Amino acid sequence: MSTETRQRRSVAYAHLIYWFLFAQGGVVAAVLVPAHVLIQGILGPLGIVPVVDRHYDTWVAMLGNPIVKLYLLVLIAVPFFHIAHRVRYLLTDFGIKAAKSLPAQVVFYGGAVLVTLVTIWVLLTTVPISLG
Amino acid sequence: MTAEAKAAAPREYPWRIPANWWLRNRHYFLYIAREFTVVPIALWLLWLLVEIKRAGDGRAHYAPHGSTALVVFSVITLLFALYHSYTFLSLAGVIIHVKVLDRPVPSRVIVLAQFALWAVASVVVGFALIWFAR
Repeated sequence: MSTETRQRRSVAYAHLIYWFLFAQGGVVAAVLVPAHVLIQGILGPLGIVPVVDRHYDTWVAMLGNPIVKLYLLVLIAVPFFHIAHRVRYLLTDFGIKAAKSLPAQVVFYGGAVLVTLVTIWVLLTTVPISLG
Repeated sequence: MTAEAKAAAPREYPWRIPANWWLRNRHYFLYIAREFTVVPIALWLLWLLVEIKRAGDGRAHYAPHGSTALVVFSVITLLFALYHSYTFLSLAGVIIHVKVLDRPVPSRVIVLAQFALWAVASVVVGFALIWFAR
């Protein structure tokens, strides 16, 4: 395999991972986010329905569940790979050429990675994992 | 540069995009609205992360957010989130091509399946958030 071919392959591989994350971020945001916003951001605070995060005991019990932790990681972190891409292109559409530069890519996609790491940290340190 | 040299130099007419280009046409406006949907969604998800972090405050200090500002912010986010869902899931009919028994599945069916998935997921999420609050 020539160096050129190898390089081209590695670039395509990175694209594959990135586009997969971009698409999945869009799906997660589309399928899961509206229900959370409606219930945790509107109906819960208005007291229309009881919501799990309105009370310490129920919220902590839910956050301790490892499946919930995994779910919240997907819910919060994955959309940021979609968000990073869209915001970068939104800036480009408004004539900010710098948004296309390599440093901007590092900032935006690095930001999505950072959100992922912070989310993992918050989920693992806030409430210990419990199976009960 | 002398005046003579200035006159001789080729003139440049760099094309600059007018700042309000997206307000000139309904399609442009909806496109920008669609791209912008991710901004309130991002902020709301970061709020959710803060709400999770607050569970670490302990029973005595825990107080869930419940201000009018949060509700207003959530209403705005919900409108954008619904627009994102509508546009993103509709797009699936263009992107996804599946064949069943060697026949392509019509894009309408794919879009309907996506919207059905959204409905089911919303019911499950809503049920869990309310059921486990008891």
